[in-house]
Amino acid sequence: MTERSSEEQLLEFLYACPVGLLECDMAGEIGMMNPHAMQHLLPLAGPRDAGNLFSALEQHAPELRSIAAAFAPATGRVCDGHRIFVELGCARRTTPRKVLACTMVKLAPDRLMVTLTDISQQVVQEQRLRQADTWFATLLNGINDYAALTVRPDGEVITGDSGFTRQTGYDLAAVIGQKLGDVLKTDTTGGDLRLDEQLVVAERDGWHLQEGWQQRANGERYWCQRLVVARSRDDETGPIGFSVILRDVPRREAAAEDLRRVLTRDHLTGAANRRHFSHAMEREQTRWRDLRHSLSLIMLDLDHFKAINDTYGHPVGDIMLRRVAEACAPLLPPRGVFARLGGEEFAALLPRYDGEQAIGLAEDLRAAIAAIEVETAGTILTLTASFGCATLDEADGSIDALIALADKRLYAAKRGGRNQVFQPQAAAA
Amino acid sequence: MPQEIAFESLSLTTLDGMSDVERDALPFGIVGFPADTTVQVYNATEARLSGLDRASVMGVPFFEAVAQCMNNFMVAQRFEEEPEIDDIVPYVLTLRMRPTKVRLRLLASPEAARRYVLIER
Repeated sequence: MTERSSEEQLLEFLYACPVGLLECDMAGEIGMMNPHAMQHLLPLAGPRDAGNLFSALEQHAPELRSIAAAFAPATGRVCDGHRIFVELGCARRTTPRKVLACTMVKLAPDRLMVTLTDISQQVVQEQRLRQADTWFATLLNGINDYAALTVRPDGEVITGDSGFTRQTGYDLAAVIGQKLGDVLKTDTTGGDLRLDEQLVVAERDGWHLQEGWQQRANGERYWCQRLVVARSRDDETGPIGFSVILRDVPRREAAAEDLRRVLTRDHLTGAANRRHFSHAMEREQTRWRDLRHSLSLIMLDLDHFKAINDTYGHPVGDIMLRRVAEACAPLLPPRGVFARLGGEEFAALLPRYDGEQAIGLAEDLRAAIAAIEVETAGTILTLTASFGCATLDEADGSIDALIALADKRLYAAKRGGRNQVFQPQAAAA
Repeated sequence: MPQEIAFESLSLTTLDGMSDVERDALPFGIVGFPADTTVQVYNATEARLSGLDRASVMGVPFFEAVAQCMNNFMVAQRFEEEPEIDDIVPYVLTLRMRPTKVRLRLLASPEAARRYVLIER
């Protein structure tokens, strides 16, 4: 028996690797790749060039080309586990829909290392967990009433039950033939999805559920769980329509509300805590990915706060922290989350806010904090804060990159003299 | 040289009847495996071009451990689903990790225990 050469061993190792590995230039031209990568790439390439990563994925993940192109640094992680949904519909229910995760690392100005992994099973697990969560939440909530409707793929109402009129106050006969999204107005100043946006997600994932305020015909608000389920037939590729269930859910009881508060709030200031903030970021990141909603983050840090604690003591410092939260939280939009991330560091997460809107709000927060006055030992104390804003688009969808970018800008504002919001265009000029 | 050894026309029966030495002399790669896909035939041409030692490939599940690039509906799944195949498909392999355009000829028959993939670079 011949001794296997180390090159043979290395090749065997790469041939057997259960993760797709490839190396390409910034234009996507593949230099090297292992067989597992080709296993996924070739069927997606169709008639396009399988020797070019971006061409091969043009149909399923055209964004990869622009994500790579928009990554300015000479080296670094371009994207991490970016999901490629190979099949969009929910046609085959027996096998999980194929989902690939793509990670790109820039090794040099014109060199990318890329991995492709099949995460279909993992995505199925995630979906089951979400479903279990929803059921569990229903048990806790109890339900006052529900209404069921069927709508066409374009959202036009086909049928509904008497529960619809009972719950919403709209006459069912008058609603049939109308777009349900026009009837059920959603407050989108927060992060709530419009009905037509829910249809998009439901077409891809099979279903979508959201909770939020809904208005009855008489203008009264109620808390509503809105479930949209795609209806399909085996001989059709896309959905033939959707079922919509509206549930009138009582708002959480006082005890549950207390518990929720303990779990999600910072005990000193009442702002959201880190854990809740991190959950909210994950939730909004999903929406950003699904529907390309803008998402902004403001990071703020109180200026020279240590000096206040050192001079006047922590109880005074604590009062000032509480006043900051009291002044800032009411300025946020309905789905915005104001959180205390650390000692004197706060953050605001803003669904559907673009960079400009975030800077505008940061300016309002800055003014609100600068107006705070706390009287102690005969002196009036004031304080200021420095601000950095960033959008998830700028961060290529990575939460870590979003935080890092906002943080970087926050410190630029500190260096710029404090009591200010970092202005990207001013820095570029 | 007899006519039937051309890539396009070599028959499954002829392939089965050849000796290892005869198969090694062919100018294209030949891989043969039964229903469980463990490699039984791996000719010298294929070993040379893939850079793999024949001894280490024999007995190994072909689509899982050696040719993952063919482990999809375009090749592996066809052997599972179609009892009879004689088809030539343009393909891209990753020989020594370089994307390489090839032609594959897939051969299967309900009468034969062994299926073949012929690879022409």
